[in-house]
Amino acid sequence: MNQVVEISLWQLLLGLIFILIAQAASFVYHLGLNRDITVGTIRTFAQLFLMGYALTLIFQLDNLWFTLGVFAVMAVSASFIIRGRVKEKQVSYVLPTFLTMFISYFITAIFVSGLIVGVEPWWEPRYFLPIGGMVIGNSMSALAIALERLFREMRQEKGLIETRLCLGANYKEASSEMFKNAVTAGMIPSINAMMGVGLVFIPGMMAGQILAGADPLQAIRYQIVIMLMLVGSTATTSIITMLIVRKRCFGKGEELLLSTSSQ
Amino acid sequence: MPLLLEIETLGFSYENAAMPVFSELNLRVDEGEFVLIKGASGTGKSTLLRLICRLQSYGNGRILFRGSPVESVPPAELRRSITYVAQIPSMIDASVKENLLFPFSFTSNRSREEPSEKQLAEMLEQFYLQDISLLHQARNLSVGQQQRIALMRALLLDPEILLLDEPTSALDAKSASMVFAIIEHLNATQGKTIMMVTHSSFLPKTVLPVSYMLENRKLQKV
Repeated sequence: MNQVVEISLWQLLLGLIFILIAQAASFVYHLGLNRDITVGTIRTFAQLFLMGYALTLIFQLDNLWFTLGVFAVMAVSASFIIRGRVKEKQVSYVLPTFLTMFISYFITAIFVSGLIVGVEPWWEPRYFLPIGGMVIGNSMSALAIALERLFREMRQEKGLIETRLCLGANYKEASSEMFKNAVTAGMIPSINAMMGVGLVFIPGMMAGQILAGADPLQAIRYQIVIMLMLVGSTATTSIITMLIVRKRCFGKGEELLLSTSSQ
Repeated sequence: MPLLLEIETLGFSYENAAMPVFSELNLRVDEGEFVLIKGASGTGKSTLLRLICRLQSYGNGRILFRGSPVESVPPAELRRSITYVAQIPSMIDASVKENLLFPFSFTSNRSREEPSEKQLAEMLEQFYLQDISLLHQARNLSVGQQQRIALMRALLLDPEILLLDEPTSALDAKSASMVFAIIEHLNATQGKTIMMVTHSSFLPKTVLPVSYMLENRKLQKV
């Protein structure tokens, strides 16, 4: 296979031409995006350079606890991003979401890194962290969609849930469709990705490996494992999180705690 | 008549509210009684019914059902014995028959025998719904018809107390009089214990209700 063609600093800066085109378009058509494009460009450079140095350091340290610490930081950050998107105030869901994410993703990452890819040791940061990052990144979106859907439907259907409760349903029976709809909504993007992969788009990881000179037939194997892993981890995390959060939407008397008026 | 429901010094406030909805509220309901609670809008009539069947949790005091605190009864069992029918009926997106029978799929109702189609058709007649087919889409019915289906659905589970939250507030005069007639009939002929809140001037014609006025956070007998 070919060696990786390195990008020099000057070649990297040449990429800024695309930003200049976007800036010009924003200026000519009064889109008001010039500031955002500038900030976004600076952040892209700063964050990715920082990440590059951090990963170099982590790979050099090659320490179990340090690797797990970075993994935990990634999971915590994902929980906060979900909290920012879902904006639910009446029911506390951030801690159970974080714990479910951490445990489920940890098991998935160990399984893929240690068993399927067969890395020695299983926490080898070069494999464990990118795999963990992909699981967290993808399932984070699924969880945000599922949680938002669960809270929205439980509020919209409060009358129906209470009617069922009044007719002898337990809280699970009273909210079964809302639970099912929430999990399904979270899962659909992962399933759609499986349908379109290789036909509609070349996934980022596989594209990266090919650009880095890897054999495409090896790259697809990695990609298949990743796709399967994402669907599995999204399903388990969504279901466990929805089960816990749905329980928290009800009080001790199995009364629905979500009010229809406030968010 | 034996005592069925007892409320002792009940207190309740909404979060961040300056004033409580109730304080030191007391009530006793005997088996077979028709309790009518009147009061202006916003005085907490609906809240009182919701507290009794634990759709909301209360702060102070006690609510006893057959001498036991309502908290000691499993929620599904309590609500099957003390059934609340909301002001606005909720129907699932299905036929009238499915709307009447879905409660029988719940774990707590599985030991109960489902009524036959013939029994349901007879009941529709008693509820002035003889023109409605069991296969009709329930959500396409008028609110008045849906309210009668909601009442039927509650009664199929044979609750000990029926809590009715302004059951005619969203209905026209004709539908309202039908619903009132059914409610009176249930109490007069079947001895069903009924607790109904209303801000209308409804007065039963065939039964003698025990009437209360909810004002100044307390119930007063009238």
